[in-house]
Amino acid sequence: MGQPELDTSQLLKGVLDLAVLAVLAEADSYGYDVVRRLRENGLDHVGDASVYGTLRRLFQAGALNSYVVPSDEGPHRKYYGLNPRGRKALDQSAHAWASFSKALNHLLNGRSNGHDH
Amino acid sequence: MTTDDQASDVPPYAAAVRAALSDLPHDQAEALLEDLEDHLREIAAEAGASLTERLGPPEQYAQELRAAYGAATSGKAQREPALRNLQRAIGSVTSSVWYQQLRAFLPELRPAWWVLRAYLVVLILTAALSPGYNLRPIPNPFSSRGLLEILATIGAILFSIRLGRRSHPLRPGRRRLAIGANVVIALLALPVLASMGTFPSFAMVESGAPGQSPDFASPYSLGSVTNVFAYSKDGKPLTDVLLYDQDGRPLTLAKDPDRTTDYPIGADGQPITNAYPLNQRRLDGTPVLQPRVAIPPWPATAVPASPTASPAPSPTR
Repeated sequence: MGQPELDTSQLLKGVLDLAVLAVLAEADSYGYDVVRRLRENGLDHVGDASVYGTLRRLFQAGALNSYVVPSDEGPHRKYYGLNPRGRKALDQSAHAWASFSKALNHLLNGRSNGHDH
Repeated sequence: MTTDDQASDVPPYAAAVRAALSDLPHDQAEALLEDLEDHLREIAAEAGASLTERLGPPEQYAQELRAAYGAATSGKAQREPALRNLQRAIGSVTSSVWYQQLRAFLPELRPAWWVLRAYLVVLILTAALSPGYNLRPIPNPFSSRGLLEILATIGAILFSIRLGRRSHPLRPGRRRLAIGANVVIALLALPVLASMGTFPSFAMVESGAPGQSPDFASPYSLGSVTNVFAYSKDGKPLTDVLLYDQDGRPLTLAKDPDRTTDYPIGADGQPITNAYPLNQRRLDGTPVLQPRVAIPPWPATAVPASPTASPAPSPTR
């Protein structure tokens, strides 16, 4: 829409599923912890509601299993983990992302190379 | 401490989010929101700031949830912008700081309501069980059953507090029933309270229909008048003065619980209850003495009522 700057949150929307799946592939996790780990990995602008909604959607889509871990202090935590279907989705998405970013990097490198000339 | 304060944010915030998503189909909303509260509590427990400061207003949070979950923006809501605006308005009220503070404070008033509702129930029952009874605030020292009222009130308060302090939460159906019962008590109390104390305080004399034996059980007691003393204008006390009201009905006084009254018995065997002054005795048997009175000086001849009378104002003419 004529905006010169790249809107990171718009970018994130497309790849949040992938990011969440990747975090869960490292270790099972609960909503708040997923947000924290995404932010630790540099995705500063990830919204809490977006992650929560994504987790619920992936769970409803059958990509995640979930279990509740009771906690002595504080609320019970609903942990999510990848099931085979989720792992497959992660592989496919990771593959799609790899080729997408490769293409884009290529494009960007070509542009910068062109400038260098 | 901080954690408790933040945790109290959670129910209103979650409620506002649910309200903003109320247009979603029920099963979809359930699937999306089923552990929203736990999730928010987790955030509230770790954050030093309020949920609204951390996450933005609940409506925005709901929008983000809706987008991430991939739920369609409901066509219904788009067709009815007025409803949408209303929801947004309600959401902005319920997410405001003062509303959340109010929500957090209200539960502290519960014990006060437990006491008040018991008191109201006793008043309502008193009004319902004895129509015509001049209901006064409890405790009422002038009522013949003041003690009964006080005991009933204490009993009701104890019971009400016990009900209120129950440790286990009610099931949703019962909870709705309980809230309904409380609302009914509050609504019923309004007319009872409104009717209370509207009797003019000088209406201390009771009239009985002619020929009808006065009903002394009817406690029309406003307290002050327990006897009437009549004097002639030259200050002589009159006895056995028969008093009637404007309709010719005998004027009788409410029974004074602290005194016994001996009425003269008429030739027909009926007590004559409107002959004044009444012949009264205290409960310990001592007769009630005539009070000291000041007889005003009459224009023509002023005769002091009794040697003990206090100085009377001088005539203005």
